[in-house]
Amino acid sequence: MSAVAIPAFGDAAATDVATVKPLVELTDVAKYFDVSAPWLNRVLERQGRRLLHAVDGVSLTILPGETLALVGESGCGKSTIARMIVGLYTPTRGTIRFDGQDTRAMKTAAGRSLHRRLQMIFQDPYASLNPRWTVGNIVAEPIFAHKLVGERGDVKKRVGELLGLVGLSAADMEKYPHQFSGGQRQRISVARALASNPEFLVCDEPTSALDVSVQAQVLNLMKDLQREFKLTYLFISHNLAVVHHIADRVGVMYLGRIVEIAPKRTIFATPRHPYTRMLLDAVPDLNMTGESRTPVAGEVPNPLNPPSGCTFHPRCPHANERCRSEAPSLKSATTGGAVACHAVEEGRI
Amino acid sequence: MSATQAPLLEVKNLRVEFPTRRGTLVAVDDVSFTIAPGEVLGVVGESGAGKSMTGAAIIGLIEAPGRIGAGEIRLEGARIDNLPAEAMRKIRGRKIGAIFQDPLTSLNPLYSIGRQLTETIQTHLNLSNAQARQRAIDLLKSTGIQAAEQRIDHFPHQFSGGMRQRVVIALALAAEPRLIVADEPTTALDVSIQAQIIALLKKLCRDHGTAVMLVTHDMGVIAETADRVAVMYAGRIVEIGPVAEVIHRPEHPYTVGLMGSIPSLVTESERLAQIDGAMPRLTAIPKGCAFNPRCPRVFDRCRSERPDLVVVGTTRAACWLHAAQAVPA
Repeated sequence: MSAVAIPAFGDAAATDVATVKPLVELTDVAKYFDVSAPWLNRVLERQGRRLLHAVDGVSLTILPGETLALVGESGCGKSTIARMIVGLYTPTRGTIRFDGQDTRAMKTAAGRSLHRRLQMIFQDPYASLNPRWTVGNIVAEPIFAHKLVGERGDVKKRVGELLGLVGLSAADMEKYPHQFSGGQRQRISVARALASNPEFLVCDEPTSALDVSVQAQVLNLMKDLQREFKLTYLFISHNLAVVHHIADRVGVMYLGRIVEIAPKRTIFATPRHPYTRMLLDAVPDLNMTGESRTPVAGEVPNPLNPPSGCTFHPRCPHANERCRSEAPSLKSATTGGAVACHAVEEGRI
Repeated sequence: MSATQAPLLEVKNLRVEFPTRRGTLVAVDDVSFTIAPGEVLGVVGESGAGKSMTGAAIIGLIEAPGRIGAGEIRLEGARIDNLPAEAMRKIRGRKIGAIFQDPLTSLNPLYSIGRQLTETIQTHLNLSNAQARQRAIDLLKSTGIQAAEQRIDHFPHQFSGGMRQRVVIALALAAEPRLIVADEPTTALDVSIQAQIIALLKKLCRDHGTAVMLVTHDMGVIAETADRVAVMYAGRIVEIGPVAEVIHRPEHPYTVGLMGSIPSLVTESERLAQIDGAMPRLTAIPKGCAFNPRCPRVFDRCRSERPDLVVVGTTRAACWLHAAQAVPA
C-alpha cells in the first residue's frame, strides 16, 4: 500500500480536525512478522523467508476524549495495532505519535513518562494478573514503577481509592486474583490501568471473555470512568453490538488494513464497504426471531498468501477486474467517513 | 405444552451432582423439559448455569465423579439415563448426535476425516466400505465443503475452523440421529463464519427432521435459530417458552436483566441495564430463589422458599411474582 497519509474524517469533519490536536496519530504503520522456517530448512528446501503482513499500512487519528473502536475478524491485525501503540511491538514501518511525540521514544529514559500516560487492558483476566501477587501489589505496581507516590501509606490509600472506583472494596487488597470472578478480575485490570493516571487506554477485547450480564457491568464502568477522568479509548472488539454501544467512531479492518472508518451512526446506518455490510448482516439479532438470511460465503484468506488487489475481492459480490489487480486506498466518502473500495469510489454501489 | 405429538426427548426432574470432600455440589437441579420431533430448543445461561451439564447428561457423557443423582431422561419413550455404557454408546451417534464448541477436539488429528466419517457410518449403519465412503462424500457435500471427493482424504489440520465445524456437523448427522445436542457450536468461530454454520445447521436439521438442543450463551444465535428457549440460572430453568415471547416479553426478573444487558445494534443507550453481582458458586447457592440476592424485585418469600415453574401466559417462569395469578405447571 502506498505511504500516503489518509484523512480519517469526511470533509464535513475536517474543520474539527484542524482545531483539535489528535492525541494518537498513526501514519502508514505496518507490522510484519517473520514466520520463516528455520534457517537449515530454508537452505535445504530452498525456501525464501516468509513474512506475515499482520498490519499493512494503517493511518488513523484518535482525538482526545473519544472512543475509537477497531472491529474485524480473527487475524485482521486489530490486536497488533493495539500492541504497537502501547509499545509491546515495534512497527516495521511508519510512525505512531502520542500527543505529538514518537512512541519509539518510550524505549529511552527520557520517554519513560509516555508510558505513564497510556495503559492497556487485556482480553483474558485470568492470564493478565499475576496469581502470586496480592491485588494490592498488582494495582500498586504502576504507582511504584512511575514513582508517583512517595510514602508507602499513601500508596495503600491510593490503591484503596482505585479499587473503590472500579466497584471493589479496599479490603480486597489483601486477596489474590483466584479469589475473584472473571468480571471482578477485569475490574482489577481496569484499576491497575488507571493507577498511573493515564489519558489513553487501549482495551483489547476487554469483555469478550465475560458473560453478558458481567459484560454490561464492565462496559457501564468503562463509560463512567471515561466521563469522570476524560479518558480516551481505543477499543478493540469483534463484537459489533458492543462497539455500537461504546464507540464514537468505528474502524473496520480486514487483513491488516482499514477498509472503512466512520462515525458510529454513519457506519451502522449507512455502511459503504461490502465487508462492513457483510459483517453487519452476519450479526445474529434479537429481532430476527425465526427469520432466515443468506450468509456471505467464504472465509478470511490466509494472511501469508493474501489475494491480489483488494484483499476482499474473492468474497465480494461487486468485485471486477480492477478490484482483482489494484489495491484500493481509503478515500473520503460522501456520508462522512472514509472507505477503501473501488466500487464505492466509482459509484457502482 | 401445546404439542400434540409425543415428545422426542423428555427430561424429568433431572439432577446432576458432584460428590466432593466438602459435600455434594448440585450442578443441575430438578430440571424438566421436553423436545418435540424436529424442534429446536435453545438453552441459554451464563457460565456455570448448568446448561452444558444438562446436555452432557442427555448424551451420557458426564465425567466421573459427576453423576445423575435423580430424575430420568427418556428418548422416544425409553429411558436412556440408566443404560450401561455400551448400550449408551450405540445410542450416541445413532439416535443422538453431538456437536461441541471446539471442532479440533472433536476430531482425531491422526485420522483423515474420511476415515472418521466412514467409521461412524459403519458403526451405526450396515454399509459396505464403498457405500460408506459415498455416504461420507455426500454428507460433506451437503455441509457445503467444496471438492468433497478430494477433501475427504485430508486431515483435520488441513481445514480452517469453519470447515472443521462443517465436518463435525457431517459427523453428527452421519447416522441420521433424531436429536442433536449442539453445545456452543459457533462460539469459537468468527461472526461471518458463525452465520454460515447456524444457517447450515438450521437447513440440515429441517431437511432431515432432526431436533436440536442448542446450548449457547449467545441470545442472538438463539433468537435466530430456536423455536423455544429455556433460560437457566444456577442449575435450574428459570423461564421456558416460545423464543419470541421470552425475548420480547420476559417474565422472570433474571431474563429481564439478561435481555437488558445485551448491547443492541439498533437502539442507542447511554447505559446498559445491569444485574449487579454475579451468579452464585455451586458451593454457595442462596436459600430460596437462587436469584434473590441480585433480584431488583425481591421480597420475603423469595429468601425462604424456592419457586417452581408456573404457567405465565404462553411461557413458564419460576418466580414468586407470578405465583398469585398462575396455576402450577
